Amino acid sequence: MAVPDQLTLKRHRDLVGRERRPYIRWLVLALIGLVLLLGLANVFGQKPHTDTAAADGVELEVYSPEHLRSGLFFMSRFTIRAERELEAATLLLDPGWMEGITLNTLVPSPVGEANRDGRIAFDLGRVRAGTEHVFFLHFQVNPTETGRRPQDVELLDGETPLLAIDRTVTIFP
Amino acid sequence: MDLVIRAAVAFAFVYLITRVIGRRELSSMQPFDLILLVMIGDLVQQGVTQNDFSVTGAVLVGGTIALLTVAVSYLSFRFPRLRPALDGEPVIVVEDGKPIERNLRRNRITVEELAAAARQSQLASIEDVRWGVLETNGQISFIPKT
Repeated sequence: MAVPDQLTLKRHRDLVGRERRPYIRWLVLALIGLVLLLGLANVFGQKPHTDTAAADGVELEVYSPEHLRSGLFFMSRFTIRAERELEAATLLLDPGWMEGITLNTLVPSPVGEANRDGRIAFDLGRVRAGTEHVFFLHFQVNPTETGRRPQDVELLDGETPLLAIDRTVTIFP
Repeated sequence: MDLVIRAAVAFAFVYLITRVIGRRELSSMQPFDLILLVMIGDLVQQGVTQNDFSVTGAVLVGGTIALLTVAVSYLSFRFPRLRPALDGEPVIVVEDGKPIERNLRRNRITVEELAAAARQSQLASIEDVRWGVLETNGQISFIPKT
C-alpha cells in the first residue's frame, strides 16, 4: 500500500523527529498564560497605587497608577491632611507627570499654576487645621508614548518644603 | 515609525497564536469561532493603529502586513528546513481504514470528527479510507480504498 506522495511513514505517521513539538506548543502557550497572569497581577497597569508621606502634622497621599499603557485614561488623587494650618499649600510635580501625557482636567481648579525650576507647581491655597484637601488630575497617556520616568511629588507651604514622595511611572506600549 | 513596529509585532503575535492553537481549531469555523476571529482582528487593529485615522497610517500598516506575509511565504519556499516551523507538517491520521489514535489525540481530533470529515468527502465509513491525512491548513484529506 503506497504512501501518498511527499509523505513518509516514519515522519508523518510515526512522527519521528517531531516528538518535541507538543512540548514547544505547550511552552509557548504557558508563556502566553504567564503574560496574562502578570496582567492580572497589575504588572501592566492600571490599578492605582497609594504613596503616603507624613511629618509635622501634615500628611500627603498620592493615589495614582504606577504602571500604564499607551492611550489609557487615568486619574490621580492628591490628598493633603493637615493637623496644622498651611498658609499656601503648593504641590510640585515632576515634568514626568505631563511628558507624553495629556492633562484633561483638574478639580478643583488651583489658585495658581506656575513653573518652579522645571517642575510644575499647583498653588492650592490655604488648608485649615484639621481639614483635608483633595485634588484630582485626570489624564490620558498619549497613544504612542512608552517608557519609564520619575513622577515625584513635593508638598510645600509657600517656599518651605514639607513632604516629598518619590515615585516612578512605567508606560507599556 | 512606531506604526510599522506595532504592525510587525501584531503580525508576529497573530502568526504565533495561529501556529500554537492547533490546526483543527483553525479549520473548523463554528459561528463562535467566526465571531472570535472578528473580535481578535478588532482588538489587534486597535493596538496597532490606535488613534491614527490617516491614510498614511493605513498604507504603512497594510504595507507592513503584506510585506511580512510575502516574507514568511518566501522563507518557507526558499528554506525547506524552516517549513515545519512556519507551516507545520501533514500528519497521517488513518491508515488502511484504521484511525491512528496517537496522532488523533495529539491533534485533539475525535473519531467522531474524523468520521464526519470522511462523510463530507463522500466516504460512508472510516474503514473505506486508505489514507487520511491532516493537512497543514487543518483540513483532513482522504484517499479511499479502491
